[in-house]
Amino acid sequence: MRAMFRNRGGVHPAYRKWGTAGAPIEALPLPKTLSISLAQHIGVPSKPIAQKGQKVHAGERIAEPGGYVSSAVHAPASGVVKAIEERPAVNGKYALTVVIETDGAMEDHRPDEADWTRLHPKEMVDRVAQAGVIGMGGAGFPTHVKLTPPPGKTIDTLILNGAECEPYLTADHRLMVEDAARVWEGACILRKILGASHLRVAIEDNKPDAIRAMEAAMKGADDGVALVILKTEYPQGAEKQLIYSVLGRQVPSGGLPMDVGALVENVATAVAVREAVVAQRPLLRRVTTVTGPGIRRPRNVLAPVGTPLQDLVDFCGGLTEDTVKIVVGGPMMGVAVATLEAGTAKTTSGLLALTRRVVPQYQSMPCIGCGRCVGACPMGLMPCTLSEHLEAEDYEAAEELNVLDCIECGCCAYECPAARPLVQHMKQGKARVATLRRQRESQAVK
Amino acid sequence: MRVSFSSSFRVPFWYVLQPFSDATIMQYVLLIIGAVLVNNFVLTRFLGICPFLGVSKDIPTAGGMGLAVLFVMTCASAVTWLLRATVLEPLGLQYLQTIAFILVIATFVQFVEIALRKSAPALHKALGIYLPLITTNCAVLGVAVLNVQKKFSFFQSVTFGFGAALGFALALLIFAGMRERIERAHPPDAFRGVAIALVTAGLLSLAFMGFAGLVKM
Amino acid sequence: MGLWIPILVIGGTGIVCGAVLAAASRFFAVHEDPRLEALAELLPGINCGACGFAGCSEYARAMLEKGIPVNLCKPGGHETVSRVASFLGVEAVAGERQVALVLCKGDDAAASRSTLYNGLADCAAAELAGGGGKDCRFGCLGLGTCARVCPVGAIEITAGRLAVVHPELCIGCRQCVAACPRRLIKMAPESSLIHVLCNSHDRGPLVRKVCRVGCIACTVCVKLVNEKGIRMKNNLAVVDYEVPLDNDEVVSRCPQHTIERRRLKKTVEV
Repeated sequence: MRAMFRNRGGVHPAYRKWGTAGAPIEALPLPKTLSISLAQHIGVPSKPIAQKGQKVHAGERIAEPGGYVSSAVHAPASGVVKAIEERPAVNGKYALTVVIETDGAMEDHRPDEADWTRLHPKEMVDRVAQAGVIGMGGAGFPTHVKLTPPPGKTIDTLILNGAECEPYLTADHRLMVEDAARVWEGACILRKILGASHLRVAIEDNKPDAIRAMEAAMKGADDGVALVILKTEYPQGAEKQLIYSVLGRQVPSGGLPMDVGALVENVATAVAVREAVVAQRPLLRRVTTVTGPGIRRPRNVLAPVGTPLQDLVDFCGGLTEDTVKIVVGGPMMGVAVATLEAGTAKTTSGLLALTRRVVPQYQSMPCIGCGRCVGACPMGLMPCTLSEHLEAEDYEAAEELNVLDCIECGCCAYECPAARPLVQHMKQGKARVATLRRQRESQAVK
Repeated sequence: MRVSFSSSFRVPFWYVLQPFSDATIMQYVLLIIGAVLVNNFVLTRFLGICPFLGVSKDIPTAGGMGLAVLFVMTCASAVTWLLRATVLEPLGLQYLQTIAFILVIATFVQFVEIALRKSAPALHKALGIYLPLITTNCAVLGVAVLNVQKKFSFFQSVTFGFGAALGFALALLIFAGMRERIERAHPPDAFRGVAIALVTAGLLSLAFMGFAGLVKM
Repeated sequence: MGLWIPILVIGGTGIVCGAVLAAASRFFAVHEDPRLEALAELLPGINCGACGFAGCSEYARAMLEKGIPVNLCKPGGHETVSRVASFLGVEAVAGERQVALVLCKGDDAAASRSTLYNGLADCAAAELAGGGGKDCRFGCLGLGTCARVCPVGAIEITAGRLAVVHPELCIGCRQCVAACPRRLIKMAPESSLIHVLCNSHDRGPLVRKVCRVGCIACTVCVKLVNEKGIRMKNNLAVVDYEVPLDNDEVVSRCPQHTIERRRLKKTVEV
């Protein structure tokens, strides 16, 4: 069925997916070193348990969850732990990183062993936690935490997110085309864990082959299941926007999807969950789209977690001369990185190399009050006014205008004719407002 | 003691007791609209510019100032009318009008200051010197004098004073809102601060000229 | 007779008005400690907030009403504290004047910037965006967040994009200390002379790769002073300001010229 609800705001950037949309997923030869960040997920960083110099085998746990909202990390390949130290991660920040010198042996091929239909949901969540599965759409929220809603909250609808609205990226797209059966099985497992009566598979209409593949995989499903075809629009794959598009339910300001009885999981996460539940295979690899005008041979690459960006780039023919910017993630929400030494994370869905032609050096100018950002904001905020408040460091005014609702999708900055760094304003403003709020709360406790 | 009654002022002061006898409610409404929009004290008559520029930096302070002036103007126009009709006119002392009016206005301003210091110390501090300066706010004296010139009745005077103060508050609030936004914008260096404020005030005044002819006064 | 009537009228009006005001002032009387204003006068009046209160008059009120210690005013220094103490009739020991010090020497000539940062000119924003182009992850970004919060304009951003505190202007309010996202501004007592101007906890080879003047943890200085005054802390030589230190050899022997001799006292005007 077609989606019946249209989100507010949003933009239609050039999607540029043709470079890799038809390219099959190719496995990367095992890199010589892997640097696995222990802060790939949202929440407390993981605690390393491997020692320097220790020999690890593929799939061995190298870090424990550091708290409740945290995740386990495993060695994607066998080798020797060369170092455990702070290194730059793909998000530009420094984080404790386990560096493994691989010895050529890839992961172990554990067979499918369990019939998941017989497993208790608790057991399945436990397996997901053991496998270190986190949300692979980009945010990296530990999946087992998401799958254990607090008592009193019921989830009636699970939405499988195959929207992939970011330009350039085709990792989820290819996964659905090539591995529809496993995606579907993962979705069914998630549905059973949650006890959700409804399951919606949401795909944007610019991926007809993915829609066909998923339809074929879903044949014979019960009445609670439906495939929802979305009209292509950015940022439709964002959690709150997707829930509105599919169900017409609006997540309240400051609320969570479970407040409206919905839960969104990415297709790649679904596959990871399937592997974890059926075969107890930890999350060791993921598909990353390596593309952009600066990449000579754009590809969809199946690479182990922790692969240095340089290896990905080399596998895809290297960079062109005029490459000026490397972005991890999509062009709208991705983060520019300063070094290619960093290793990929479980959330790295894309690596973009952008050339001078597509990255003009804008000079940011004062706001001209045109209001295009207000029209583009999918959360209904006023980025122009907010950025002025934030520029004047008036964080209270920004909080009043709900700066914390910003999802950093980048629509405002995309539309801004004055080339204002609106998203950066928001990011910084959100950080400051959150700190101020914490301070206020701790003072109130005193 | 011989007291000379002036013949030029025909309306007796007990006229106070017969409101709305010769003026319909509509006339009062028009009086207010005229004072607020058409002949706005700040933007059309250019009275009371000092607090208009002085306390228009942020909206809450401007609102406080507007309320203070609202109180002073309304009360002052009532009391000055009574003073003139009952004391100055009968005694033929019209030439003392200015001194007597200022005396009354100053009393009200002092009253507001004392009351504000007790009830809203933060606002009192924010208004600072501009609060006592309402005394010399020509808009307040202007209302009192205009009431005399236009030969308004008591209720007309009070209405006119109220309307004039509303107009003052409106202009102040609009201007404060604009200045708050200009603060955050980036005008060229030469225009920054008072310069751009004066330009904005001029433009606002021009905009209010659009109301000319709305009500015939 | 003609003169008396106006005099009486105006006088009478005045008396009535005065009576009204007198009644009002009694009704709306505010009981305020008369000492408050005088005490607030003694404070510097720059409302920097270093004492932890929302401005000088609030601090004065807190001292009067809640008995908050009198030595919290940092900008005022010793003089203000002693004046306030004598005004309130209490004993107070003022600490030594503290001066902010940027623990980084790596301007553009010394520290490398291999990536171009094209975002907001604000250190906190640059830090969130992955470091603002500076290769050293501890060094000064030079985008001037500290200079903007300084109430007295004591921080200069040099042409080499490095923040430098002018000690003679610094009032020690610690606003910059809180503002710096990399936490590399520290307070030093004004009598101190020797300073290690680096905040990098990276290992020596890594530091050398990105900066010519960063501490490489060679421990020469620590050995020279026999761990008295300078100690190694996690790959960084750190001056212990509790111990007075005046040793020029430390400065001359530092292979990276990270250690500097710098007078923080206000120069006496002649």
